[in-house]
Amino acid sequence: MTKTIDKNFSMPKCFNERSKPSLYCPGCGQSIFLKHLGFIIDDLEIQGKTTLGIDIGCSLLAWNFFNFDIVQTHHGRSVPVAVGYKLSNKRRIVMSIMGDGGGYAIGLQSLLHAAFRNNPISVFVLNNTGYSMTGGQMAPTSIPGEITTTSPGGKDPKNSGKAFHGPELIKQISDNSAYIARASVSNPIMLQKMIKKTLENQIKNNSFSFLEVLTPCPTNWKTTASESFNFLSKMEKEFPIGEMTKNEK
Amino acid sequence: MKNDLTKIVISGEGGQGIQTIAKVLAESFKDSGFYVSYIPQFGPEQRGAPSISFIQYSTKEIKYPRFYKADYLIVLRERAISATTTFINSKTKVILDSSTIRPNVIKQSENKKEAVPATKLAFDLFGKKNLNLIISGYLTKLFSLNEKAVWKIIKNQLQKKFSEKKDLEDNARNAFIYGYEFTSEKKNFSQPTFKTNKKIIISKNREREAFISPELCKGCGICIEKCPVGALKFGDEIGVYGNPIPEIDIDKCINCGNCFRFCPDCAIKVKKKSK
Repeated sequence: MTKTIDKNFSMPKCFNERSKPSLYCPGCGQSIFLKHLGFIIDDLEIQGKTTLGIDIGCSLLAWNFFNFDIVQTHHGRSVPVAVGYKLSNKRRIVMSIMGDGGGYAIGLQSLLHAAFRNNPISVFVLNNTGYSMTGGQMAPTSIPGEITTTSPGGKDPKNSGKAFHGPELIKQISDNSAYIARASVSNPIMLQKMIKKTLENQIKNNSFSFLEVLTPCPTNWKTTASESFNFLSKMEKEFPIGEMTKNEK
Repeated sequence: MKNDLTKIVISGEGGQGIQTIAKVLAESFKDSGFYVSYIPQFGPEQRGAPSISFIQYSTKEIKYPRFYKADYLIVLRERAISATTTFINSKTKVILDSSTIRPNVIKQSENKKEAVPATKLAFDLFGKKNLNLIISGYLTKLFSLNEKAVWKIIKNQLQKKFSEKKDLEDNARNAFIYGYEFTSEKKNFSQPTFKTNKKIIISKNREREAFISPELCKGCGICIEKCPVGALKFGDEIGVYGNPIPEIDIDKCINCGNCFRFCPDCAIKVKKKSK
């Protein structure tokens, strides 16, 4: 079958047009994020010197999304792989993309120590309050009362804890020069600005930069487009959006 | 009860309701006094990926749920064909959806093929979600199961959805009966009508022009939700996953760029006309 997809029509220049339409579900928030990441990489003109580490989970579906180097890592280990890559090759711009399962559950210790050591990499954690590739099980980030396949009566904060706040935790141990923020797919202009700052902080300040992105998952939330964005606004109340700054100065 | 072991493969696209059909069939075989095994093919939970289920029923005990050649192969989407051709041998009876698949794509002799244009029927008569009910109705007749008993199982399966809307149940019942009474196409297959347009759809007026690519659009509806003036709505064109895709009313459009900003698949763009 010959593909007639024209890249110039609306895609970022660094996209691999042969892998489109992508493997993501209809309405996936992760592909909205990846699109804006692509535009920022075009904007900063860093396509030739970028390396991206991806994790197990829905983030692995980005394995042929871009026309630059992408490394597939073990579950929760995309941060240490990115750190190692950066240590051996300081001129590269190294990013790591994970889901909330990889970032806050299995790979939390790697993430915390990368922040603690102030390794100069950019980490993006995409938070959709569940383990989506395996069928929408309850995750640490599920908000209290959320109905998932393993919490049919709604998440009970007494037994399962409240929602996990990643950037707030990382802020406590990170260096002063680190950039830590939370964005949401519901505001693409702000998202683009924050992605740009996350990458610029790695390039200019040579320090750790971290961005959590709230993304909808219509397949596992079982929502339509409007319901997805309603739930996203509910998530934004639980996870406040913005840049985290340290209190000193 | 002539054959000892009958092997069935049902395949289609994730989101079509393949596993629902398979569960209903397995339950009905069990209720008719057969031994049954049913397993789905496990993979990522993803819409649009091929979804396959394996069913066996027999008068004797079943030792192992997997098999390599099927007696019946049911294919509902072109995308699922490549994953299921290994199950065909000279005895396999192929049942396909002739409104989405060209019958000559499947390599099997003509008299072993049967077709039900289920997607077209569902779109025209009952709404696209009722595709799996038409197929379950048809399969009920094919395997000579008791129609009333099967409907009872379907009702149990879909209890939650039916309790929310009342007219849904009547519609589903009609779709099931229609499928049960449908005589399949043999040899004279209808042509597939559900094809994705390869060209980018351009609509323009004096000030701006809009581009929508059916080859990229998955029909999620985010642009329709995010349009501030309501210039977008679902139209007649079919997108890459067989869903309807939006069409734009270019005179209402104010060129705000929201649809382009929110589209996950880079399928829509509006720009000012350069003079």
